[in-house]
Parts: sequence; C-alpha cells; structure tokens
Amino acid sequence: MAEQELKPAFSGIRVADFAWVGVGPLVSKYLADHGAEVIRIESATYPETLRRAGPFFENTPGLDRSGYYANFNSSKICATLNLKHPRGNEIAKRIVEKCDVVTESYTPGTMSRLGIDYEALRAVRPDIIMISMPLFGQTGPWAPWMGYGHVLQAAAGFNHMTGWPDEPPIGAGTAYTDFLVPHFAAIALIAALDHRRRTGEGQWIDFGQYEAAVNGLWTTMLDWSANGHEQSRLGNRDIEAAPHGAYRCKDGKWLTISCTTEEHWTALKAALGRPEWCDLERMRRRWQRLNEQKEIDRHLQFWADDNTRRPDEPPEFRGENPEVPPQRKYTSYELMEFLQKFGVPAGVVQSPEDLRADPQLSHRGHYWTLQHPVMGERIYDGAAFRLSRTPANLHKAAPVLGEDTEYVYRQVVGMEEDEFIELLADGAFE
Amino acid sequence: MPLPVPTPHPRGPLAGYRVLDLADEKGQFGTRLLGELGADVIKIEAPREGDPVRRSGPFYRGEDGPETSIAWWALNAGKRSVTCQLRLEVGRQLLHRLVAVSDIVVETNPPGRAAELGLDYATLAAVNPGIILVSITNFGQTGPYKDYLATDITAAAMGGLMYLNGDDEHGPVRTTAPQAYTQVNTQAMVGAMTALFARGTNGGVGQHVDVSMQEAAANALDNASATWDLLGINNRGPGLRRMVGGNIGARYLYETSDGWLAALSAGGLFGPNANTLIDWLDENGEAGELVQPTWRERLSTMTPIEPEELLYLEERFAAFCSRGKKLDLVTEAQRRGLGWAPVQSPSELAACEQLGARGFWTTVHHDDLDASFAYPGAPWKLSATPWAQRGRAPHIGEHNADVYGELLGLEEAELRRLRLRMVI
Repeated sequence: MAEQELKPAFSGIRVADFAWVGVGPLVSKYLADHGAEVIRIESATYPETLRRAGPFFENTPGLDRSGYYANFNSSKICATLNLKHPRGNEIAKRIVEKCDVVTESYTPGTMSRLGIDYEALRAVRPDIIMISMPLFGQTGPWAPWMGYGHVLQAAAGFNHMTGWPDEPPIGAGTAYTDFLVPHFAAIALIAALDHRRRTGEGQWIDFGQYEAAVNGLWTTMLDWSANGHEQSRLGNRDIEAAPHGAYRCKDGKWLTISCTTEEHWTALKAALGRPEWCDLERMRRRWQRLNEQKEIDRHLQFWADDNTRRPDEPPEFRGENPEVPPQRKYTSYELMEFLQKFGVPAGVVQSPEDLRADPQLSHRGHYWTLQHPVMGERIYDGAAFRLSRTPANLHKAAPVLGEDTEYVYRQVVGMEEDEFIELLADGAFE
Repeated sequence: MPLPVPTPHPRGPLAGYRVLDLADEKGQFGTRLLGELGADVIKIEAPREGDPVRRSGPFYRGEDGPETSIAWWALNAGKRSVTCQLRLEVGRQLLHRLVAVSDIVVETNPPGRAAELGLDYATLAAVNPGIILVSITNFGQTGPYKDYLATDITAAAMGGLMYLNGDDEHGPVRTTAPQAYTQVNTQAMVGAMTALFARGTNGGVGQHVDVSMQEAAANALDNASATWDLLGINNRGPGLRRMVGGNIGARYLYETSDGWLAALSAGGLFGPNANTLIDWLDENGEAGELVQPTWRERLSTMTPIEPEELLYLEERFAAFCSRGKKLDLVTEAQRRGLGWAPVQSPSELAACEQLGARGFWTTVHHDDLDASFAYPGAPWKLSATPWAQRGRAPHIGEHNADVYGELLGLEEAELRRLRLRMVI
C-alpha cells in the first residue's frame, strides 16, 4: 500500500463524549487527534466545569474563552443537548446508535438516572464500548464521593510521596491524577476497540481513577506489602541513588543532577575535577553515598554557587587575587550541557515559559498552534509519541459551545429539518 | 500443583498478540499492563547478568540479588523471560525469528544504538512488515537533546513537572515515586495501542513509534501551558495552596489529629457550598464570625475577599480539622456534599475500605520464596475481557525452553549449542 493511502488510526470511529473536566476529555483527545470523530455532548444550561475555569483569553471569563478546556479538546466537535429535557434521553440514544464509543465520567448512578446507562445504550447499539471514569469506580463505599484530581492525588498516595521529609505532604502543585489516569484509560479503551474489531463484541469498562492512580506508585505498594517498609517523600533525594538532587544556580534556575549508576558517578567526579571529597572511602559505593547525602548536597550546592553566574555577570570571573587565572562561570543551561558532555544526567527545572522556548520540544513539534474562532491562535499540547506512518493531526482547535449541533443532529443522527427545529425551539439542545 | 508462570489469559482483549520487551524503566511497566490485558509479553534479557532493573532496589528483605528486586517484580510480573545476546550475530538472528512471530517490540536504547543491535525499524520491518516498534528515549529519536542522558528526575525537571511542585522556601521538588517514568510508560503504551489499531485500519501495515520521556512529563502539567500562552504567567508550586489559572488560591491541605486531609477552597468555605460548611463548623462551635449573614452571603457568592480575610477562613477551618480524624471528617464531609479526601500513605492505602470492597489487591505467589504478597490490582474492570494478574516476574531465562523450543521449534541440541556459545 502506498504511504499516502494510509488512513489515520481511528478513521471511521465515532465517539459520543459525555465526559467532563480533565480525565474523560484527555482520553478522547487521543482518539480525536488520531482520526476519530469525537462529539463532545455538552449542556448550555449546565456548562462543562472546564469551560468555566481559567485561564481565560484576555483574562475575561466566557464559555468559549477557557484555555483549560481548549487544550484538552483539540480536533473535537461539539453538540449541545439538555439531558433533562423530556426527550433528552431519547435524543442521546439516537446519537449513541451512530457511535462506536461512549465516554462518561459522572458520579456512579447518574447515567442510570438519565436512562442512558450501559444496558440502555447496548439496546440501541449492541457492540457499543462504553467507558465510565468516575473517581472511585462504580461500586464500594466511596463510589458516591465527589472531588477533583487535586484531592484524588491525596487519597491515592501522591501527596504522601511529594514534599520534604518531616514537612507537610504538599503533593504535586496540580490536579496530578487527572494527568496520569487518562493514559491508563486510553490503553484499555483502545484494547477493547481492537477486541471488538476482531470479535464484534462490545463491552463496558468500569474505570476507577483511584485504582489506576495507585498503579502509578511504582515500587511503593509492593515495598510495603513484601517488606513492611513504608516509603515516604524524600525531597529530591531517591531511595536508591546518590548524588540525586536539585541545586540552585545564580541565574535563578535549578539544576538537577542524578547518578543512578557507577558510570554516572565516575562521570560526575571527572566533571567536578575530582575534588578530595569525591574520593573519600565513604563515597565509594552507592550504598555508602546514600548515607552521605547531606554532605554530597552541600558540596554540589557550593559547586553550583561557585560555577554559575547571575544574569548580569560575564562568563569569565576574575576574583580578588590577580594572580589567580579567571574562572569560567556558567548559566544553568551551560552547566547542564557541561555535565551532559561528561556523561552525567543533568537537567534544568524548566518553567512553562522555558518549555515554550525549549529547542528539543520545538524540534519535536510538541506544541501545535491552532486557530480558535474566539481565542485566535493558541498553543495545544501534542502526544508524547510520534507514529511514523499515521501521525497525529490536531486538525482543529477546540469547539465553541454547540458549534456542531446542527451537523450532529441533521447529518450524523439523520434528523429531519422539521424535527430538528421543533426540538431546538423546545429547548432540547440547551 | 503450582500454577505456571505466567498464567494463561485467553480472555484478555489483547489475547493472541505478542510483545517483545527490550525496555528499561521507561517501558517495562507499560508492557506489564499489556500482559495483564492478555498479550504474551516476552522479556528479552542479556545472558547471565539479566536485565539491569534486577539490580535496582528496593530488595526483598534488603537482600540484593537478581531474583529479589522489588522493582523487577513490580514492573515485570506476569511476563515470560528469555535470554539472548544481541551483541552476537547469532543472537540478533534469534531475535529476528521472534520478531517474525510478534506484533509489538518495545525498546529503550539511546538513539542510534538500536541499529547496532539489529533493533532499528528498517531491519525489523524487513523481517515482519506488520511489526510495531516502540522506541522510548529520554528526549526522542532526533533533535538537539537526543543524546542527553536522563533519569526520572532529569525528565521531571526538563519536562516542567518539578517546576509545578514544591514551594518558595525549598524550591522545586520531585515526586519520590518516579512520575516521569510512570508517565512515559503509560503514554508510550497509548502510542503502541494506537499503532496496533492503525495496523488493523490499514491492512496490516506496522510502523515506528518514537516516544519522548521529556514530552510525557510536559503533558502532565495541568493548565500550565495554556496559562503561559494566554496570560504569560508561569504556574508554579504553591506548597499547601493551589494555583488556579496563574493565581495562588486558598490552602487545600489541613492537618487533622491523625494526619492530613485535602479539601479545595478551604474545605468549600469559599464557594457555592459555603453555608453547608459554615453550618457544620457552627455545630462544633468553630464558625466564629462566619455565621454572620454578611460573611455567608459573600462566601457563597464568591465575592472576592482580602488576603487577611482568606487567612481568617483558613484558620477557622484548620482549627476545626485539627480536632477530628481525617477519615471521620472526610466521610461526614462527603455525606454533606463536600468533595474532600484523606491524604493516605502506603499502609493506609493497603487498609483502605474502598480498595478492599472493590477487591483491588491481588495476591501473587512467589513459589521460589514460598511466599505471597499483595500487588496493586486491576486499573480497569472490562466487562467482556477481564483484567488478570498473571503471576510473579520471571527468573532470568526461565522460559528459554518454552519460547525457543515450543514457539520457534528449536531442537534441544541447538539450544545446547546456543547456550555453550553464550548466546542464551
């Protein structure tokens, strides 16, 4: 088959996306950016939380002005539907009849109350794949609990594992699990789609965000169950590696240095110019260095202080004594490059601003620029993976509310014009 | 009769697919997930010393050894293991025979190195045009940083994740359970699944999936890229507080008599549910001035308040939380319609009633140690094609006879020859 004839991965797949906020829309974004027709089904009466959350274009709130909503909904279309309208549930089913996938993230029981749970939808579309993604899953005493990713990260152990020892469990400065569990959900959903293609069988996926998140704790849970060892937050140190930390540079940025192998440590010693402390007997082996982290951090912070420069300082620094040759001073980025040349894993702690200017992300085309009807040219995140033959195509900006209502009901559902206008006048699409 | 390792899983959605795992920490966890969905995952290790992750701690009972690494167990449970020396031509030929009967290959070599091991896409596609090669690297296959070394903290820094954590006093901080690794493992598998689905869409054509750990971290930044793009503000770690669209909002973490709880907007004191919480504080004599109608009106309509007023709210709420136990407080809050959660540690997660009621933990038997341990269980419940844990992680080369003998049909004499030449 000639290269140009290849279709996007999810070509021909249509998704009815009833989900909201972060997790659900990030799952369907993968499908939309790789060729599926994803229909956001939203209410104009009770607008999606994220449309009401900043940052807003021109710092002015508005349902079509949220960058938060926009970034998670590239390549999608949007129809409005009032599920509380007497015919709301019938209309929803008529949409689902034309779809392959249904995504939702309501509190358990909501879809049943609306008459569009899995059983009801399977009756109109027997091979439908539905994924339900509430915080705590469909069953159990916490199933009705409410909350957002910011508090789920606390329940799931991420706060406990983020911060400094003997200091509060500050957690990630984000709704962290919202940006971890969608990947788990997408893996299961695509696997189910593939199974359907091979067997014709649809299914319902009971996805509890909590359970996926607990799977993201690496060795933490098994260290507890097998060893009875309770891992905890270590600042920027590591249970297994030393040196391992972040060091303040004079240009105001922080540089991370980590040695997880003996090769890294040997390289770091060479880069530092083999100062005496490096060759002390108690620095020789990794398990010895783990006991000396306080001293290692002190040395590396001194080194960063000595070798980095303030933004206004010249690269060559001449000290008080004219006999001593000038010393080279680095920016955090130059120091990173210097350490990398020796073979030391070193990286600058980059801000969102730094990321936009990052030459590597730019080379990769990580950020897409898309034209939004209200917000103008805006930046959208692309996936972390590049498919060589069927690459992602973020083909349009996020939809404005109800942008595609007429298309969805007339073209997708196949509604006659009279009925569409009648329902429109009756408020079914509000 | 001990169960075979791994146990068969013919009902998984990926049953019938085969995955070759030549990955390090950036991919081993992801391939484990594919195994639990039914794929036959074969870990390919260097003869004798085995996979480097076997030398990563923590270790069972603190005893170092290739079969006692808890990192190895956690990332490789339910896989098969074969040994194969890819530095030898014979080894590469053996690998290519496996590639011919596989669907997905996952590798994490630095850019360019894969070709030396016969693992580049052109070579694999010549063997099997339908093969999907997933290459996971620190920064991607090409670009100015492609050769940079990285561990979890490097990618968490360069991808922005650390900048959003931490506080002004201490600076940025990494999550101690490595999240750049977790992010890249899971995002890479979304790429693998998308390529697998594309293969079905396009009559069996495979492709190369190029994954960057830096980008995986950069995709986990909440609304930070939009906030920079729209407002020119860098979201950053506000410690106990929360940053909303560039503004530092109310404190969301509060100490209880037995730990901490998370409750956005000072528990909801600032928001539409303010009256619910003021009533509850009042029942406990903790509401102070907040019972006054003007406070109630201003808080429930979210009228902007002065910083010292916000501090007063937080103090009232902190005093209330400090007298209760976190689970009691959270359970009652949820009953009243407030979305709080407890801050939980590993031991508390292990005892959590919700995870217990869902049958989350799965017991894995280690026949070699004559011991069983609770592993984290199903990340999803699929109604028609259930998730299954498939037993402990394999020993080095445990499945050489199964894979090379039964799958590839090598004779015992040939296997012996390969062993003598240290290919396997």
